[in-house]
Amino acid sequence: MNALAASIESLGAKLVGWFTVGYGIFAFLARALLLLIEPATWNRATFDVVIKQVYFTAVQILHVFLGYALVISWLIISIIVTTARDFGLAEFASEMTIRVLVLELLPFLTALFIALRSGSAINTEVALMQVNNELDALAHCKVPPMQFEFLPRLIGGVISVITLAGLAGLLALAMGYLAIHGAGTAGFDSYTRTIANIFDFTIVAGLLAKCALFGLAVTLIPVTAGLETPKKLFMVPVSVLRGMMRVFFAIFAIEVVSLALKYI
Amino acid sequence: MSHELPLRANLSALDNIALIPIYRGHFNVAESNRQALHLLEQLGHAAIAPLRDPDMSAAQRFVTKLARALILHRPRLVIDRPGAMLYDVPYPVFLRQLADKADMTGTWEIFDFSWNQPLYRE
Repeated sequence: MNALAASIESLGAKLVGWFTVGYGIFAFLARALLLLIEPATWNRATFDVVIKQVYFTAVQILHVFLGYALVISWLIISIIVTTARDFGLAEFASEMTIRVLVLELLPFLTALFIALRSGSAINTEVALMQVNNELDALAHCKVPPMQFEFLPRLIGGVISVITLAGLAGLLALAMGYLAIHGAGTAGFDSYTRTIANIFDFTIVAGLLAKCALFGLAVTLIPVTAGLETPKKLFMVPVSVLRGMMRVFFAIFAIEVVSLALKYI
Repeated sequence: MSHELPLRANLSALDNIALIPIYRGHFNVAESNRQALHLLEQLGHAAIAPLRDPDMSAAQRFVTKLARALILHRPRLVIDRPGAMLYDVPYPVFLRQLADKADMTGTWEIFDFSWNQPLYRE
């Protein structure tokens, strides 16, 4: 009986914990969105941090990311094209390539890439700022941490994921054409027609929304996880661990919901 | 000023100070940097402008914090336990030298442990 009560208690505590974390994340997001429309937010310092964030998150890793997108796209396209030919479904290869790679796999992998590289760094930096009292010091000097530290990271994350996923998608489209039709222009009309048929307004809007949500997940969750860190240095790795697990589940949930909305 | 209110570790001394006019006075970056550098020059430490927190000595860090506090133009400057921040210099003398250099109309109040009182009489 005691064991049952203890497990119910533990489950309840976990549920309350998840609710509190979820509430914290959405409350933070609401505050950030409200600040976005305040003219005072948009001073040169905030703008400079946004530029720096986009540079560190997207521009600095562009060559590595494009190399990685090239390899993964080439592999997946080869698998799809070979399998489609084996089953006599070669005419569907273009559509399958675009749907699997450009709409699903590349945005998902981009989000994972940014989460591992920048999300973990953001989580660690915010946790250290919290532990070292740097945020309190900024607030004490009338420099709002939300405008100066957090909002630029959120904006930078969203811009970076949308841009990198877009670039990887364009690369995959070009590779898909080369793999299916070769270097000639003979298949250009049918290939562009397939692209136009797939990318209607709903799909493009859904893709943009999904990438924006991925961008928010890989920055907003690490920021809030960092802010939850108790003021003890040894808690920083725990904070990063929790934050990155939450990021993974959020990315996974966004992908599952997006697939469900599209195909179910 | 307190050792519990540190500098932003990944910003230079100049950026730590210049942030305040940008956010409080809505000055542009060039003007804010000019004000920050002028303050550091006034305190006799212009050379520390490009240094980040981990690259500074305790005295240099203190000067940056002091400049960050002075640029707020508050009428009262409270220095909490200066010994905790200035452990590498004879700090009452150092504070006096800085106070003579700083162009400030307000008052400086120092909160220190009672057993450090004799240090201020030297």
